[in-house]
Amino acid sequence: MRGIRTAAGVCHDRPMPGLRELLAIPVRRSTWRRIAYLMIGGALAAPYLVLASFAVPALEGGLGVAGAWALTSAFYFVALPIVTGMLTTVRELEVGAARRLLDVPLADAESPRGAVSWATRRRSAAWFVAHLVLGLVICLLALVMPPAVVAVCLAPFATGDVQLGQLDPTVPGGPGSAWLVPLALLAPVALVYLAAGASALLARIAPRLLGPSPAEQLATLQRQAVQLAERNRLARELHDSVGHALSIVTVQAGAAGRVLDSDLAFARRALTDIETSARNGLRDLDHVLGLLRDDQAARAPTPTLADLQRLVASTRSAGIDVSAELTGCLDDVPQAVSREAYRIVQESLTNAARHAGHVPVSLHLTVGSEHLELELTNPLDASHPQRSGGGRGLNGIRERVMSLRGEVSAGPDAGRWRIAVRLPLHPAP
Amino acid sequence: MNLGVLLVDDEPLIRSGLRAIIDAEPDLTVLAEAEDGAAVTPLVRRLRPDVVLMDVRMPVVDGIEATRRLLANVDDPPRVLVLTTFENDDYVFDALRAGASGFMLKRARPDEVVRAIRLLAAGDSLLFPAAIRELAARHAPARVPAGGLDSAGLTDREAQILRLMAQGLSNAEIAAQLVVSPETVKTHVAHVLTKLDARDRTQAVIRAYHSGFIAPLDR
Repeated sequence: MRGIRTAAGVCHDRPMPGLRELLAIPVRRSTWRRIAYLMIGGALAAPYLVLASFAVPALEGGLGVAGAWALTSAFYFVALPIVTGMLTTVRELEVGAARRLLDVPLADAESPRGAVSWATRRRSAAWFVAHLVLGLVICLLALVMPPAVVAVCLAPFATGDVQLGQLDPTVPGGPGSAWLVPLALLAPVALVYLAAGASALLARIAPRLLGPSPAEQLATLQRQAVQLAERNRLARELHDSVGHALSIVTVQAGAAGRVLDSDLAFARRALTDIETSARNGLRDLDHVLGLLRDDQAARAPTPTLADLQRLVASTRSAGIDVSAELTGCLDDVPQAVSREAYRIVQESLTNAARHAGHVPVSLHLTVGSEHLELELTNPLDASHPQRSGGGRGLNGIRERVMSLRGEVSAGPDAGRWRIAVRLPLHPAP
Repeated sequence: MNLGVLLVDDEPLIRSGLRAIIDAEPDLTVLAEAEDGAAVTPLVRRLRPDVVLMDVRMPVVDGIEATRRLLANVDDPPRVLVLTTFENDDYVFDALRAGASGFMLKRARPDEVVRAIRLLAAGDSLLFPAAIRELAARHAPARVPAGGLDSAGLTDREAQILRLMAQGLSNAEIAAQLVVSPETVKTHVAHVLTKLDARDRTQAVIRAYHSGFIAPLDR
C-alpha cells in the first residue's frame, strides 16, 4: 500500500521535530505559505459566516444563542460547504492551491470512466469543510487577538477595568495586571504555532482527501503500462527495421566491392539497392522517433475498429485502392480485441503498401459469435520482387495475435498475398 | 575441393549480396537460394550442399525449426551456419541448440563470410568461440545440473581437449599445445563427439557449457 501511495505523496512519517526545528517553524517560508492557504479557507468561509450571522438572530428566540449558533454552524459551515466541495471546479481549485501552497505533490486523478467518481467528490467535500473550518477558526483568532493583546499591555497603566477588544472578559487595571503582559505578548507567537500546526495537519491529510483514489491510481498505472508497452514495441520495431536496412547495406556494399571488377552491372544495381535500403531505414527511424516525440500521439486514445473508416480513407488518400467489407456488428467486439485488431489492419495495410506498391487491397472483417476474423489480400506484384522488410512487419502482427491467443496465417495464396487473422472475442475459461 | 552452399533468407537483397560474395570465390558455389525455412529439407536432399547459410527470422518456418527438421530428416546433413542481424538475438542460441554449427552476423566482412563457410565445412575448429561463450553465458541455466558431463565418461585427456575446443583451437593447435600428434588429437576429438552424442565441435562445446562442465563466464 505504501508503495503506491508514495507516488501520491502520503509519506510524511517524519520523526518528532527537535527543539531547533520547532524554533525554526515561524521563520520558514513554507510555514507562511501554508498559513496563507489556511487563511484562504477562512476567506472562503466568510460568505457562509455572513449568511450565518443573518440566520442566528432569527433562531435565537427559540433555541437560545448557543443553540442558534450550533444549528446555523452545522448548516452553513458543514452542510453547505459539503455541497460546494462536491463541485469538480472547487476540487480543481483546491488541488492547485494545495500543490502550490501546502507543497503537497498531488498526482492527477485519472478516472477510469472519465467522470469524477462520487467517492472522489465525497473526499473533496470533506477536504473543503476541513479547510474552511480550520481557516475560519484561525482567521477569527487573528482578528480578535491584536486588540486584546494591546488592551492587556495597557492594563497596568489603566485605572479601571479594561475590556479585551470586542471580547467580553475584562482585565483589572493597575500594576497588579503587569504579570499578564508577557503572556499577552506570547499569544501571537502561540497563534502562529497553532496556525502552523493546523496547516501541517491539512498537508498531512491532503493526499488522502485530494489525491487520486486507488481506482484512479490504478487507471493511471494502467495507462502508463500501456504507453510503456507501446514504446517498447516501437523501439523494438525500430531496432528491427534499421538493423535490417543496415544489414542489406553492409552485405550489398561488401558484395559490390568484391565483384566491382568482374560484374559492373551487379555493382551498379547494388548501389541502387543500398540507396533504397538506407532511405527506408531512415524513413522508419524518422517515423518512429516522430511517434515517440509526439506527446499528443501518446496521449490520444488508442484507436479501435470504430476508427477503421478513417484508416481506410487515409490509406486511400495515400493512393492505395482499399476495398473494405464488414460482416457483423463491431459493438460485440471487446475493446482490447478491437484495439489490437485496428493495429493489425493498420500494419497489414502498411505492409501491403510497402511490399506490393500501389496495388488494390481488399479487407474483410467478420464478427462472429466467438471470433473476430480478419482477412487482407492483395495481388502479388511481379514488378515488385523486392520485399524489403521481410517478415518484420509480420512479426509485429504475430505478436499482437499471440497476446490475444489468436491465430494468424500469412503467405502467397493463388497468386495473391493473403494474411488471415482469427481472434477469440472472449478469453478462454 | 569445391564447396556447395545453400542460401536461406527471406530478404532477396541479402541473398543476392551473399551470392555475389560467395560466387566470387573459386572454391565456393551457391547451389540455390530459398526464401523460407520450409524449402530447406527438399533442396538439401536434391542438391547436397556442404553448408547452409540460414537466416533465423523467416515468415513461415524460421531458421530454428528449419535446422531442426533438416537434422532430423536428412542423413549426413550439411553444416548449418546461422545468419543474424543482431548478436544479442535470443533466437541464435536456440538455433545453435537446435543443431546449427555456428552463427555469423550479417554485417560480417566478405572475407569473414567466406572464411566462416570454409571453417564450418572443414569442421576443424569452432567458429567465433568468444561469441559462443557469451551466448552460453547469457543462456546459462539457472541451476547447473548436478554431475555435469559425468555420465558421458570422458577421460581426463578428452576433458582437457574439450576445454581447448571451447577456446576455439583447431586440431593442429591443440596438438601443438599438448605436444601430441594431430592424428591423436583427431581421435580424441572423435571420441569426445561420440561420448557427448554431438555431431560437431560446436554442439559438443555447447553441451559442455550447458551442463556446467565449463563455466561460460565468471558470473
